Amino acid sequence: MKLFFRRSISFTAFMTLGIVWAGLSSPALAALGGDVASVAADQAHMKANVEVKQAGGYEVHALRAPGGTVVSEYVSPSGRVFAVAWHGPFFPEMQQILGSYFQQYSAALQERKPYGHRPLNLEQPGLVVQSGGHMRAYYGRAYIPEMLPQGLKVEEIK
Amino acid sequence: MRKKYLVLILLGGLGFAVGCSSGGTTPAGIPSGGSTSANVLAIAVDGGPTANQTGGFIYPNGVFATATICHPGSSSNCVNVDHLLVDTGSVGLRILQSEVSSLGLPTVNASNGSAAYDCTSFVDGSYVWGPVESANVTLAGENTGNIPIQVISSSPANIPTSCSNGGVNDNTQSSLGANGILGVGLEPFDCGEACDPSTAESSIPPSGAYYTCSNSGCTPAFASCGAECNDSSSVQQVTHPVVMFPLDNNGVIVELPSVSGSAATVTGSLVFGIGTETNNQLTSTTNVFTVACDFFNTSFEGQAFNIDPNSCTGPGSFIDSGSNGLFFYDVNNVLPPCPASPTAAAAFYCPSSLMSLSATVQDPNNSSITEVVNFSINNAQTLLSSTNAAFSTLGGPVLAGQGFDWGLPFFYGRNVYVAIDGQTVPTPAPSPWWAF
Repeated sequence: MKLFFRRSISFTAFMTLGIVWAGLSSPALAALGGDVASVAADQAHMKANVEVKQAGGYEVHALRAPGGTVVSEYVSPSGRVFAVAWHGPFFPEMQQILGSYFQQYSAALQERKPYGHRPLNLEQPGLVVQSGGHMRAYYGRAYIPEMLPQGLKVEEIK
Repeated sequence: MRKKYLVLILLGGLGFAVGCSSGGTTPAGIPSGGSTSANVLAIAVDGGPTANQTGGFIYPNGVFATATICHPGSSSNCVNVDHLLVDTGSVGLRILQSEVSSLGLPTVNASNGSAAYDCTSFVDGSYVWGPVESANVTLAGENTGNIPIQVISSSPANIPTSCSNGGVNDNTQSSLGANGILGVGLEPFDCGEACDPSTAESSIPPSGAYYTCSNSGCTPAFASCGAECNDSSSVQQVTHPVVMFPLDNNGVIVELPSVSGSAATVTGSLVFGIGTETNNQLTSTTNVFTVACDFFNTSFEGQAFNIDPNSCTGPGSFIDSGSNGLFFYDVNNVLPPCPASPTAAAAFYCPSSLMSLSATVQDPNNSSITEVVNFSINNAQTLLSSTNAAFSTLGGPVLAGQGFDWGLPFFYGRNVYVAIDGQTVPTPAPSPWWAF
């Protein structure tokens, strides 16, 4: 059952990806809030190796980019990406992994007060983004609060 | 991790004596305040370069130092750059273009032979971008020879989105709050093996670090980290200045006095070398904490903010002089956040009175090495309404699932040692590590 599910995702992703690339002038952006096909787009863009894990009622697709940063994309049973997390030596490409939420994230960054570096805590309706660590050691997560599965603690998104 | 080696002198040394001030021509005005030894650099929490300007801002808990930057091969074509943020959370020297443009520093090329550009991302969404250039750097009486530094472009073009990431470009003094950043953290290079073609695990350069540019834009590129990365090319990556000293090159000690609540300004020392001189020895009470993936462990209010050394997932905790407060998650809600903007205190904690708290830090590679750290948090609105620059009780919230960021308040009243990965250190524990 599990194996069948994974194979059918790959097939769907492949077909959807083909359709998306044919239909747009620029590569499809993914992934938060997007469907599972957007994960495949992320994988292609990042040139990443992917590993899929099943967890209680959702899947985690872990994409490991060439530089060593791992982006984990959390997919609901209905096939939507409800959370992404990252850790590693390089900052992930936020436009790619936040997808349609990137504009909201970028607008919030412009509100930064001088001065001093500190972790990022963005808590807005419909979007939470946390970013911490330091050079060569970044981590963070972004999620849609209302889409979190029952019982999944935020700390487990990593 | 890395093989240990003892750094010998000078890439491309041109007979430049250790310390600009020994023989030859002395560059204009090396500040001498507080710096009585060759390996001691004066540092100050003084509000930053804009504090005394009309309409300027005070940079709370920013600690700053001055460097002398010379054109490679010259002892007279030099400038003193003051108010570089002393940052143990980053690696390498980054300077506003306006500060060094008169020197005409030569370009450093990436592995593909084109001029190298560097991207530095900060987690609050700010970044700096600019060319890698070669400079001869003097800090107190220690000289680096010619090293790659990042010049922060004042008029950048084609910044790739994998660098900007939707954030704020800190390429002016008023945005950065400093004239540059002196990164003296745990690693010898700002990228390391992942960016070197000899050691990278992929033939594709990682994005977010080094780039080369053409009319059509900038794309990720490899850059050499030299002999330490088994690369016969010279070093092209922005380098930790201290590893390039001929002596005293295995780490730094940040020495700041205690601050009782707040102070107008505070002065201290950045000491170079660990166990190499009489003034940089470990003491019998100093505890060494190794790191995993450049993090260590902290527990607070019954919660663990630990790094898993195998997966490098956490969230891990860390010590960082470039963070200007203690930033941590308060599950017990004993610390109310300050009211939201427009106050300067937004994003800090605002308890009604001084709160005394306690956490425990732990070595992630040796669970028996632990230490209790007591700290206090006071009302940030009250603190920041003064004209003081130093605050030992300034702290702020992070959301659940974020690690403990021991920022500058941690450093007041402690000598904090930072041992650089790959360097020889006088402890059983190999570098990298923090000790205090």
